Amino acid sequence: MKTKVLKTVLLALVCSTLTIALGACSGDKASENSSQITIGIPQDLEDSLDPHKSVAAGTKEVLFNVFEGLVKPDSNGDFIPAVAESYDISEDAKTYTFSLREGVTFHDGSQVTAEDVKYSIDRCAGTDGSAPLIEAYSNIDSVNIKDEKTVEIVLKEPDTEFLAYMTTAIIPESNENPDTNPIGTGPYKYVSRSPQENIILEKYDGYWGTPANIERVVYRIIANADSIVMNLLGGSVDMFVRLTDAQAKELEGSDFNILEGTMNLVQAVYLNNAKEPFNDVRVRQALSYAIDRTQIMEMVSDGKGTEVGSSMFPAFDKYYMEELNDVYSQDFEKAKELLAEAGYPDGFSFTLTVPSNYQQHVDTAQVVAEQLKNIGVTANINLVEWDSWLSDVYADRNFEATIVGIDASTMTASAMLERFQTDASRNFINFSSSAYDEAFRKAKASVDDEEKTAYYKECETILAEEAANVYIQDLPQFVALNKKFGGYEFYPLYVQDIAKLYFVDENNE
Amino acid sequence: MKYFGKKLIAMAVTILVVSFLVFLAFAVIPGDPAISMLGTEATPERVAALREEMGLNQPLLVRYFSWVAGVLHGDFGTSYSYQMSVTEMIGDKIPVTLMLTLLSFLIMLVISIPLGIFTARHEGGKADRFIYIVNQIIMAIPPFFSGILITLLFGIILRWFTPGGYVSYDVNFGQFVAYLFFPALAIALPKAAMAVKLLRTSVASQVKMDYTRTAYSRGNTTKDVFYRHILKNALIPVITFLGMTLADMVAGSIIIEQVFNVPGLGRILLTSIQNRDYPVVQAIIVCIAFLVIFVNFLVDIAYRAIDPRITLD
Amino acid sequence: MKKKKNYNLILGCILTGLVVVFVLVGLVYTPYDPEAMDSSLRLAGVSLAHPMGCDNFGRDILSRVIKGSGTTLFVALGTVAIGTVAGTLIGALTGYFGGIADEILMRIIDALFAFPSILLALVFVSLFGSGKYNVMLALGIAFIPSFARIVRSEFIRCKNMDYVKLARLAGAGHLRVMFVHILPNTLSVLVSAVMIGFNNAVLAEAGMSYLGIGVQPPDASLGRMLSEAQTYLFSAPGCALFPGIVIIIMVLGFSLLGEGLKKTA
Repeated sequence: MKTKVLKTVLLALVCSTLTIALGACSGDKASENSSQITIGIPQDLEDSLDPHKSVAAGTKEVLFNVFEGLVKPDSNGDFIPAVAESYDISEDAKTYTFSLREGVTFHDGSQVTAEDVKYSIDRCAGTDGSAPLIEAYSNIDSVNIKDEKTVEIVLKEPDTEFLAYMTTAIIPESNENPDTNPIGTGPYKYVSRSPQENIILEKYDGYWGTPANIERVVYRIIANADSIVMNLLGGSVDMFVRLTDAQAKELEGSDFNILEGTMNLVQAVYLNNAKEPFNDVRVRQALSYAIDRTQIMEMVSDGKGTEVGSSMFPAFDKYYMEELNDVYSQDFEKAKELLAEAGYPDGFSFTLTVPSNYQQHVDTAQVVAEQLKNIGVTANINLVEWDSWLSDVYADRNFEATIVGIDASTMTASAMLERFQTDASRNFINFSSSAYDEAFRKAKASVDDEEKTAYYKECETILAEEAANVYIQDLPQFVALNKKFGGYEFYPLYVQDIAKLYFVDENNE
Repeated sequence: MKYFGKKLIAMAVTILVVSFLVFLAFAVIPGDPAISMLGTEATPERVAALREEMGLNQPLLVRYFSWVAGVLHGDFGTSYSYQMSVTEMIGDKIPVTLMLTLLSFLIMLVISIPLGIFTARHEGGKADRFIYIVNQIIMAIPPFFSGILITLLFGIILRWFTPGGYVSYDVNFGQFVAYLFFPALAIALPKAAMAVKLLRTSVASQVKMDYTRTAYSRGNTTKDVFYRHILKNALIPVITFLGMTLADMVAGSIIIEQVFNVPGLGRILLTSIQNRDYPVVQAIIVCIAFLVIFVNFLVDIAYRAIDPRITLD
Repeated sequence: MKKKKNYNLILGCILTGLVVVFVLVGLVYTPYDPEAMDSSLRLAGVSLAHPMGCDNFGRDILSRVIKGSGTTLFVALGTVAIGTVAGTLIGALTGYFGGIADEILMRIIDALFAFPSILLALVFVSLFGSGKYNVMLALGIAFIPSFARIVRSEFIRCKNMDYVKLARLAGAGHLRVMFVHILPNTLSVLVSAVMIGFNNAVLAEAGMSYLGIGVQPPDASLGRMLSEAQTYLFSAPGCALFPGIVIIIMVLGFSLLGEGLKKTA
């Protein structure tokens, strides 16, 4: 009797497992939506979806397709009118006047009004007395509604670069849950999200500008960087925008086009200028002499990437100074001399803190550590989680040296250079130079473009000569895009413009 | 019945201890949720304002008890990073992890019981030797690596499934189960190997017992004795093992979810720890702890039901 | 049964001996500096000069496998040592004396048991930072509960046996009874627990490295090498193959050894 029961149970188990296994074989027919693109992103948007509160670059990258400001950046880094139709900047660079575009609607169908614009900007400026959500907005004196279609922003201090900050999203005042239900004016509207799984966007039919080509966008979260290649090859993802060189190589000969651009950031060994021994300029210079950028690029990305010699990346061609790349070139003798002068004839050892989630930085750190051995300096690599990095290194400034890439939050030179003023709140490397502070102040105050640029360049030169950091490179960026799609454009900012993507062959749909 | 009461109280106490330990751990861990939320935009003023808003400036015990009070009302709080209700967030993911565990368990049973019985009946034979060796090797492969190999074999080479092509259960249940089959296989393999081994040893030790000989001497057939007497007794230690395994599988899913890109509890847990999203971490750990303890409790009962020597009081 | 050769023991000894020799040699000699990079050898295949090929930095894989085996073995041994010593102490004391202390400690052990050990290690590493010593400590602590439970139940079983009572009557102190009289009797159970623990430690180290919280670069460990190799599975399968084989040999050797010892006992 017992035997029979046991056998029946076993048989049932085998059958059910077989059914499942068979079902698995037919699993390939994953919902083939005719006009859909699946984009892999390495991190979930572990963030508020409120465009004013979200801070992670990965969130902004997705929300770029949902929200628009009065103006928005194009792929050349210029500003094109968006919610505003035109703008006017007064002579003294203190009054910015925007005329709103006719017929711009929010995703809920309502018209964008001057009140919504004022509400959005006031909200970021913290005019109700709270801390401003955008630091630069503390310069806003008042936001005035001139008439139904005209909004005027008055600044406390003149600022010719302020237009760059007007990319801040315009949101409807009526939305009660901006954290979880984002409503904007962009070409795509938000549909749903599932933590660690996906975010879904859909084409917004009422968009004022050129409509998007693809109906539906699914951002699929692939937290495990090592599985990306398999996911692409397996066909579950159509596009991935941040591949390493090695991953791109694995995709050769597959269904993917590999596009190459730059990440638009400054990767460097950021040194804590307030800590021994890095408070001595000679030590900082010695480290700069000890490393070989070409070899680093060779090892980390097979020779791709662009050298940088100061805190400015090449996409800012107006400010980028190629000549600063040659301030230091590998010279061990010189480095050892400088170390000896500084009182470290036998070298020293320090801790190099690196956020573990960025493979390129981890790889770079290993090469840098090898190169520094040549001058008797030992770098002990300490990998930390991104959050520990943020709190220990970035906020508390409790570190000796770190390798990260710093990008620009807006398309302005000051976004890159502001942080190195002596008392800037983001000056996590504790750089301190009165000459720098002076030059930066003058650059900021100047309303003449040529003069302004000259002062910014002076700032860059000071950073290079003082060897504030050991500058390395602007990392290469590899985008894998399934051959079904075309139209990808690189931006000098951390954004992905999905509205421009299209199907290469309509028959392929 | 007294036994159940005692057990239940012990369970409650254990969960309280677990949740407090987690609370304590996060109080000392480096990293600040407020800074984490603000990222590189953190300025001291914004951090201070946010900490106040999040109630992080209250003493540890106050925060703990208000959390416990919330949980008793079924409210696990709001996720710091997602700004969503934790109850809702976790509720969405529990079916994923449960299904993964259940599938692994089924696969393990289907593989291990027939194989275990087979090797036990043919102890010392060629097939037994072969299975023994394969078993040992399977147990020596790190689970994440067998996951990678399974992806490579079934996903890329054989194309039986789309790597990373997870489909949510509320979109298409069949495809959901179909996708989870492969991660479940990766979890089940080493456990099945262990179960086969255990069953084989367990049966072997029963064969040598006196009662077996008595049964044979009474004239029973080999098959009869095997299924009626030996197997029944041999299953007792195996059931204990299965119970422990079920709990183990919940933990094992943390790594395998990462390999197969399955958005279950494990994935959320890992990222929430990294984001210092305490309310989510708290809730998930309490859930997992509850699951583990509950399974142990069930095993205890099953054990007592099967083995007549143990009574419930 | 007696006539049969103990194949498990023999094979276990051979495999384990091989790994130990491998590691010992690595202490004094590796073919190349395991950290030296060479851009011309990135992902180079198998050759006479580099019998296992090179990794993505052009580092010699053989040298790294040798060094990595050492690290892995070291972490595993340390983990088991911490788990065994602390677990035995806790298990012995609670099992022997019982009472309220036993009740409280067992609740805590239960609580720890309800934590997946990976999770415990994760919290620990977030707390004290990563690196091989911290990984060892984290896993060691995570292993304490299982050892404590095993030892405790053995002590409970033994404490009322006649030989213990006799020893007490003969005037032996509690400590003496516990560690001189009872402990040797739990040895056979303890040895097999140690062998299983060792294997779990090797696998757990690999798992932690996979999640990025294990041994840190440029230190090599088998688990770390295995997870790093994932990206190059197609172009340089050797990066994954060789560390994988060594892990399998290591774990296999120890579990066979454990089985073999159980049979002789």
